[in-house]
Amino acid sequence: MEPKFNLDRPKISDEEINKNKDFGNLVKQFKEQSIEKARSDKGFLKKGKISYAAVIAGVAVVCTLTYLTVSKINSNKTINDKTATLKNTTTPIAETKTAFISPPHKKINVPYSSYKVNAQKGGDIAHHTKSKVKVPKNAFVNKKGEEIMGDVEIQYREFHDQADIIASGIPMTYDSAGTKYHFESAGMFDVKGFQNGEPVFIKPDRTLTVEMASTNPEDHFNQYELDTVAQNWTCIKRDKAILPKLAGPTPKDEVHAVAGNKTTKALEEKIAAIPPKIENEKVVYAKKISALPKPQTPLKPLKSGGRPKFELEVDYKEFPELTAFKNAVFEVGEENKNYSKELSSITWTEAKISEGPSKGRNYLLTLKTRSRQEKLVVYPALSGADYECAYKTYEKKFADYNAGLEKRQQDEKRLQDEMQAKQEAYYAEQKKLSADLLKEQIRIHQQMEKQLTEQFNSMGNQQKITRLFQVSNFGIYNSDCAQKMPAGAYAEPSFTINNGVPLLNIGKIYLIEHGRNIVYEMPYGSISYDPKYIYSLCVISNGNIYTCSKENFSDLTKTQQKKLPLEVLNDNVNDVADLRKAIGI
Amino acid sequence: MLTNAADMSFNPRYHHTTTQLQEEQMIIEAAKLNPEYFGPLYDKYYKQIFGYVYQRMDCKDTAFDLTSQVFLKALTNIHRYEYKGVPFASWLFRIAHSEVMQLFRDQKNKRAVNADVGDMRNICEEVQEPFFEEYLPAIQQLIKQLPEDDLQLVELRFFEKRPFKEIAEILDITENNAKVKMYRILEKLKKSITNYKL
Repeated sequence: MEPKFNLDRPKISDEEINKNKDFGNLVKQFKEQSIEKARSDKGFLKKGKISYAAVIAGVAVVCTLTYLTVSKINSNKTINDKTATLKNTTTPIAETKTAFISPPHKKINVPYSSYKVNAQKGGDIAHHTKSKVKVPKNAFVNKKGEEIMGDVEIQYREFHDQADIIASGIPMTYDSAGTKYHFESAGMFDVKGFQNGEPVFIKPDRTLTVEMASTNPEDHFNQYELDTVAQNWTCIKRDKAILPKLAGPTPKDEVHAVAGNKTTKALEEKIAAIPPKIENEKVVYAKKISALPKPQTPLKPLKSGGRPKFELEVDYKEFPELTAFKNAVFEVGEENKNYSKELSSITWTEAKISEGPSKGRNYLLTLKTRSRQEKLVVYPALSGADYECAYKTYEKKFADYNAGLEKRQQDEKRLQDEMQAKQEAYYAEQKKLSADLLKEQIRIHQQMEKQLTEQFNSMGNQQKITRLFQVSNFGIYNSDCAQKMPAGAYAEPSFTINNGVPLLNIGKIYLIEHGRNIVYEMPYGSISYDPKYIYSLCVISNGNIYTCSKENFSDLTKTQQKKLPLEVLNDNVNDVADLRKAIGI
Repeated sequence: MLTNAADMSFNPRYHHTTTQLQEEQMIIEAAKLNPEYFGPLYDKYYKQIFGYVYQRMDCKDTAFDLTSQVFLKALTNIHRYEYKGVPFASWLFRIAHSEVMQLFRDQKNKRAVNADVGDMRNICEEVQEPFFEEYLPAIQQLIKQLPEDDLQLVELRFFEKRPFKEIAEILDITENNAKVKMYRILEKLKKSITNYKL
């Protein structure tokens, strides 16, 4: 049995729907049903399915919710009130007879570019605007859900300015919660796929990546997909402008450029040569310092103190320091534990002195017989006039020694100052060379930056920014920002053509805002605009395109004249560039 | 409001933000313990569910009765409801779908298709055929003759203007499956319209 078909059935009012809402009755029905169920299931309570913990948890959740629910109901009520007000004040829009996507003129519609991609291999499509479409492997299925083999035809086109938008006939209005917005566009594209004239579908686990070249570097856009059935745009995500990867010098190139530069190379070599020079100077001066004469400490004469002593004949050539100790005797030091009086009574066949443990102060006396040998530390000592004389000589020598020492210290300090001065000079040179090197590196960096900027500036606008889309369905996508209708002033022009003939059967009125990439679709009768901006107009009537220049629109707003003369574009139009010129883009 | 991009990506009456989902989940948990707390959910979804039911039948009173039945069933079974990443609305729509289908099995004469002339025009546009009012009876006839599954898809997509994501959740199929099925239906309709014109 076929169902009944009702066409344009009257809608049921919200009041009538609300009248039938009865939550109390629902709860009552539910409770009755539960009691009935409980009766038929007597074991329910006995089984103790409801625990105390559950009751406590329930009470806690319920308390929290009381607050949440009340606040939510209040906020919903406010929103509903607002919606109701909005609905009551919105004038119903007359149903148009045109298709949802309705290009105003065949000649100016933006044409598709056709590309072939092997479905199994995938591939990258480079569009002439520098946009790219990346197709992954095995990305398509046919209407039966079977994987597509062989070549697939990808049809692709882009829309970048107001002329493209008008020419495409794609609606750029966005309905959000009953409020109509117009899109400021950072670019839009339309992508389709076919095989042998039959549409193909993108597999659920695959996406095409579209790197759309964009002219707008701003970062306040969202990505939208056009739902042609719901006749509205669906927001996908926040869009992000991606700056281009320039083919010019990279940081790596900059490193190479710095390394390869002769000036920087020479400077670096000079800087590298300085530390060895400093080290070399240290060596030179260390040698000079060590070469300074070292005064010998004179030997202080020892006064004979009654210790056991030996009288020895000394070879003064061998021990010249003992010259001042003529007639000296050699007293046995207290450290000689092996000394006994017996040693003084032995006739030694050989007695020999050599350097003692404290050089210049004591000597080692070796005494030998044929069968015995003893070693004693002895100190040269004088007595009487010999001591006096020796002491005077010592004092004189000691004064000379001090003078010599002082001179040596002065010479050493002079040499060290000299060395330090030379080192500081080297350090200063090193610092200067490093500064020169840094300057040179900055110069190279600035040169490269300039090169990059020149390259960036010499690029076409459409090459500068990329906007990345992940496309899981073929269709129309854009990177746009919803803007409210312009406000601030109104004009109510009567459009005329051919010297005052009124223009009838007006289909669409496009208000083109210059400075922002927006086209507003205006209702007939009243055009709202923001006096801060410059506008031009495009009017579609009976399949003809009429335009009003920026200058004429400005005159209209200044003089508040009623009649607005329009220029017909049809006779001279060849492509969208003619429309672009006519509306002053 | 156009402040939150994420909010705009879905039908706000159906889909929710994470915060809204969390709040709704708390209400559901409370309603599991006390049916009185089902109230906000009833208020929130009554109109949507009634709209869905009434879209498929001719009799207003039956639609109101069936809507009450849907909510009673939802309240009775709410303890079985588990959050699985889709809005509570999709669970209610599935109950509504099941109840409506049960009614049509029992009383086939209750089934009706409701559409506007604009919806018919949309279908013609989608199959790239020009629309003339004299085609209306023929298109209606073609739609009436569609198998129930296909008719449901056409209703959801063209007469209720739901996105495929939502359709997929209501019918418990994948989004891609919904799209492919819809393409086949449109192809059949296109063929029939072309034949009719000839």
